Parts: sequence; structure tokens; C-alpha cells
Amino acid sequence: MTWAVLSLLLAGAGVTAAISVVSVIGGLLLGIAICGASLARSRALRGCAAVYVSFFRGVPLLVQLLLLYHALPRLGLDLPGIAAAVLGLTLCTAAYQAETLRGGFVNVPAGLIEAGRIVGMTARQIMLRVRAPIALRLTLPAVVNEAILILKASSLVSVVGVADLTRTAQNIASSNYRPIETFAAAGALYLLLNIVVGGAGAGLGRMVGRGR
Amino acid sequence: MNLELIRASIPEIIDGLGFTLLMWLPGSALALALGLLVAILRHYGGPALDRGLQALLGVLRGTPFLVQIFLLYYGGPFIGWDFDAPTAGLLGLSVYGAAYFAEIIRGGLAAVPRGHVEAAACVGMTRAQTLRRVLLPEMALLILPSTINMLIVLMKETAVLSIITVPELTAVITGIGSLHFAYAEAAFMLAVCYWGLTEATGLLGRGLERRLQRFRLA
Amino acid sequence: MAGFGRRGFVALAGSAALGGPAALSAGAARAAEDVLARVKAAGVLRVGTETQFAPFDFLDNGKAAGLNYDLFAELGRDMGLRIEFVALPWESVLPGLDSGKFDMVSGPATITKARMERYRFTPPIAEATCALLKKAGDTTLNRPEDMAGKAIGSGKATSQLEQLKKFSATLSPPATVREYVDFSQAYADLAAGRIVGVANSLPNIAYVAAQRPETFALMATPFGEKSYFGYIGRKDAEYAGLMDAVDGAVLKMRSDGRLTALQQKWFKTTFETPERVASPAV
Repeated sequence: MTWAVLSLLLAGAGVTAAISVVSVIGGLLLGIAICGASLARSRALRGCAAVYVSFFRGVPLLVQLLLLYHALPRLGLDLPGIAAAVLGLTLCTAAYQAETLRGGFVNVPAGLIEAGRIVGMTARQIMLRVRAPIALRLTLPAVVNEAILILKASSLVSVVGVADLTRTAQNIASSNYRPIETFAAAGALYLLLNIVVGGAGAGLGRMVGRGR
Repeated sequence: MNLELIRASIPEIIDGLGFTLLMWLPGSALALALGLLVAILRHYGGPALDRGLQALLGVLRGTPFLVQIFLLYYGGPFIGWDFDAPTAGLLGLSVYGAAYFAEIIRGGLAAVPRGHVEAAACVGMTRAQTLRRVLLPEMALLILPSTINMLIVLMKETAVLSIITVPELTAVITGIGSLHFAYAEAAFMLAVCYWGLTEATGLLGRGLERRLQRFRLA
Repeated sequence: MAGFGRRGFVALAGSAALGGPAALSAGAARAAEDVLARVKAAGVLRVGTETQFAPFDFLDNGKAAGLNYDLFAELGRDMGLRIEFVALPWESVLPGLDSGKFDMVSGPATITKARMERYRFTPPIAEATCALLKKAGDTTLNRPEDMAGKAIGSGKATSQLEQLKKFSATLSPPATVREYVDFSQAYADLAAGRIVGVANSLPNIAYVAAQRPETFALMATPFGEKSYFGYIGRKDAEYAGLMDAVDGAVLKMRSDGRLTALQQKWFKTTFETPERVASPAV
């Protein structure tokens, strides 16, 4: 493993990290909106949320990416590969994160909501000051897990031409014909990225845990 | 959309589906068993074993399944592990899944109220009895939703096995798409098959949850 | 992630994703304008490529290299165009051509009857006839006939796989043919010892053997039908002008010796290629 090869893999790891971070954060925001819809009083909204979650969890991410990249131009929307990649990952992870968040909201102890009402909080205040913070704290470990899954699933974005860690490793292996060493090195870099994500998650957990 | 091609492909797709199920269901069962074993070892095995297993699980969860299966199948023979493709697929999926199930089960065991364990001790249950009659059944209820989720994740991971020549669903359908330049049809068939499997699994999980609900302790 | 074959057109999604064959001409607006005129006006020819097909197209320490790059550089000079490469994995390249992400594909792919029904090929740029990659030091594989009864691999849905199957059927006992989604995996399995040979086009495996002489060796005697590599474009009427111009540029390089020089540079050998393959043998 020469320095030249390693620095190529590092650059690929940077791309993987960047698209994953953007997608997980975007997916969290979108996930909050979908979670809101799934907890709404309106039946239509709940139905939309359910269909969204079912579609984006059920249809393989590979197919979603290919549709975004190859089919959208026919509707007049020609996304560059990197945009299709981030959009695909965001839409997909939003479905998972919405479900996780919903679980968190459902599990906020009823007593706390009751207590909020007794001290005279409005429904809005209860949502912002009681339910949302507790739900976020309850779901943080699951969100960190999701971030790690997305980091690994992002290897699929090579299909829309993004030179991420996996694609870079494949590029290298298909000209040096040393796939074992190359993939082992790529695996080590994925592990490193995930250790960083796990560490950041643990730090975040301590931070939000302080308000307990 | 060439419906005739899709209709004509059904027998081939069923073969591929067979391989996907053959990898997924036994692989998941093995993963669950192995995960349970690891979780129990971590629960009772002392801090050194706990830390060792934790590091191993971290590596398995922190690297893509694709990398693991590639190294196992193509790298294995260099250290004397010469598995055929389905065996390597089953083994790889079991070990990868076990790393996740071990964590899910550990969380489930930790979430069983301490009072229940103490109560079991009070009525004179041994440690093994407490595990079998209190910890495991209560844990099973708690982890059911995340277990179903993990089953769906593992089902989708089986698509990776095409890289070690297992003729599973994704390999078969993309093969049909390429042979007939029918990319749209292939995408459609992939979407329908995996969406169907996911929904069926989710439905099964929700049904199971409802049936087990009556056992849930307050 | 899924691996798919590459010379085999193992591709999915995209092309007709939102409607059958009608969608082949990407978008009504684009269908009307002549592609050559558009390319000339922009001064840029967009070319789809995959960067994983040495020695035609690969990354050498992160930099694009190979016969394709050199050839398209010459082609761009002749046609007065800047070449812009769009790198995608092979399974996404043809759907990308169909959906208009680029104007043509610097493949190359083996010119076959089935592919010619769907796509237009440039004049051939090299031979694609099958040869065999074996393990270094293997003294039992010296002629194609020695494959009898042995485990040989090739890429799923490739023309080379078809040739291997056909040739193997003439042997007694026939070879055991193993199919891989990608030639990289076939090479890996040859190194791992599960198969004793990989059937692929001569230029490709000659390069593999030269890169890793300690692991692989070449059994260079070709077998099966003679076949050729060409670049891929679309058959639609608005692409005819562009593809005619590209054909002219390739033929010019063929006649003035530049093509032969490029073959010598990247294959260390040269091929006698015809001006056009009208009815391929494969």
C-alpha cells in the first residue's frame, strides 16, 4: 500500500464522510417533518407519512438512486451525480429517522405531559419544552446508529458517479489487481469514520444528558 | 414497460428469490442465536471478555458487509478458509447480523427492570432459571421491534452476495435487465420484490407484537 | 451495494424508466435539435466512461489513463472539441447514455449482433477475441483445448462468456464455467485458486498478466470467434451527424497510423482491425 494509493483512499473517505454528514442532518430535519405528519390529527397527513416511510424503507436505495439520476432528466430535472447522491441518501434516511423519532415521541412518559399541562403550559409549549427534547434524547442512540448505517450504505452512491471510498477502492483494485489489500484498507477507513461518528454520538449524549 | 418480459422472467426471479430467502432466513436465525450467545457472554463473562467482544463487534458493525464478504470469500483461501459461495454468504451474513443482534439483545437485557430479577432471586430461582424464565422472555418482548427492523436490514444486505457469485434476487434481476437492455423493467422488478418482502416482514412483526402484547408487564 | 458485470451491459434502471421505448429519445425538446450542432456550439463533447477497464480506461495513481483517453484526446483535436469525461460505474453508463447525461460512451464494448440492434458502434479500435489468464507457473494450460474438464471463469452476460461456453461445449469433458458479476472477482478467484483460468479479451488480460506477473500469466492463443471492440453511441436520428463525424475521425486515425501507435503503447502489440463490422460473428 503506497502513500499515493492511501491518499486516494483518504480523499474517497472524505467524500463519503461529507455526503453522509449532510444526508444524516438533512434526513433528520426531513424526518422531523414526516414524524410530525405521522402524529398529526389529519388522516391524509398520516396516510402520506405512512406511504413515504413504506416506500423509502422498502424500495432498495440502489433503485432510488438510479431513478433520481437516470429517470428525473425525463421530467426535465437533470441532477448532477453528487446532488442525486445526497438527495437519495437524505430521502432514504429521513424515512428511518422519522420512524425512530415517532417511537421516541410515543414513549415520552404521559406523566410529564400531564405535569406540563398542570403548570399551565400551552400545547405548543409542551411540544417544544417537554415532548420534543425528551423524544430527541430518547432517540439519540438510534440516530447515531442510523448515521453509521448511512455511512456504510453511502457506498451505493458510486452508481451515480460519485467517487466515494468504495468507488475509489474499486477503481484502484481494477488497475492494481490487488483487491484484497485495497478492500481491507477501505474497510479500515470505514471503521475509522464510524469510530469518529460513535465518539461524537457519545459526546452528544453526555451533553444532552446533562439536562436530565 | 415491457410487461411480456416481466411475465417471462417470473420463473427466473422465483429462483433468485429462493436464493435470497435461503441466505436471509437461516442467516438471520443463526445471527440471532450467535448474537444471543455473545450478549449472554458479555452479560456474565467479566470485564475482560466484555471489552474484547465489544471491540470485535465494533469492527463488524463499523465496516460495510460488502468489504467483509469480499475478504471472507476471496481472501479466505489464502489462510485456508476455502468456503463455497453459499456457505461463505451464510456465514458472513450470520456473523455480520450477530454483531447487531448482540447489541440489540444487550440493550434489551439491560432494560428488564431490576425489580423483576430481584423478585426472581427472592422466590429462590437460580441464575439460569432467572435467565430463562424472566430475563429472556421479557427481553424478547422489548426487542421485537428492533429485531424486525434488523431482519429487514439483513434482507437488503443479501443483495451484496451477488459479488461472491450467489445467484440471488438482485443478481438475477439485474442480469435480466442487462441481457434485454431493459433497465426500467429491472428497476421496477427490484422495487416490487424488495418492497413486498419488506412489507410482509413488517406486517408479520406488527402481528407478532399485537399477539405478544398481552404478555407485556406494566 | 451490488456489483454488476461490466462489459456485459449488466445495467439497470434509467433508460426507459418512465416509459417504454418511446423514452429512448430523451425528452422531446432535446430530440428536435441535432446533437452534432449542439456539441459544436458548446465546443464540448461529453463522453461517458467507467475508469475500471484497464488498459483502455483506468486510474493510474488517481489520474485517468489508458487508450481511451489518448484516443479521445486525438479525436477532440481533430474535431476541434474539448472532451469532458463523465465517470460512472459500468452498470450506470448505458442508462446514462439513454437519459442524455453525455453524448456517447468511450466504452469500449465488444461489437455483437444483439448490441448493434440497440446501439450504434464506431469502427473497431482493437480486437476483443477471447484468450485465457492463468496462474503464474501453471504448466497444464498451454492450448485452449487444455481447458477440458477444468474450472474456468468469465464475466456474467459478456460476449466472452458466450464464446467460452461455445468453445467449452466442443471439448470432452467440457470445462466447468463459472460466472462472475465482474471480471475483478474472477481474477480474485483465480488468485484464490477456486478456478484455474479466466476467459476475457486479449488486451484486457494481457494487461492483468503484465501488472501482476508473480500471480498471473497469459495463455495468449485466442479461441472462439474473432470479435472487436468499438465505442458506443445512440441510433436516434439526431445523433447520426455526431456519430458519422466520430466514425470519420476514428477512421482517419486508423489510416494515418495513430491508432496502431496507441495500440502499441497500451497493448504492446497491434491488431489488424477492419474498417467496419457490419455483421459481427458474435
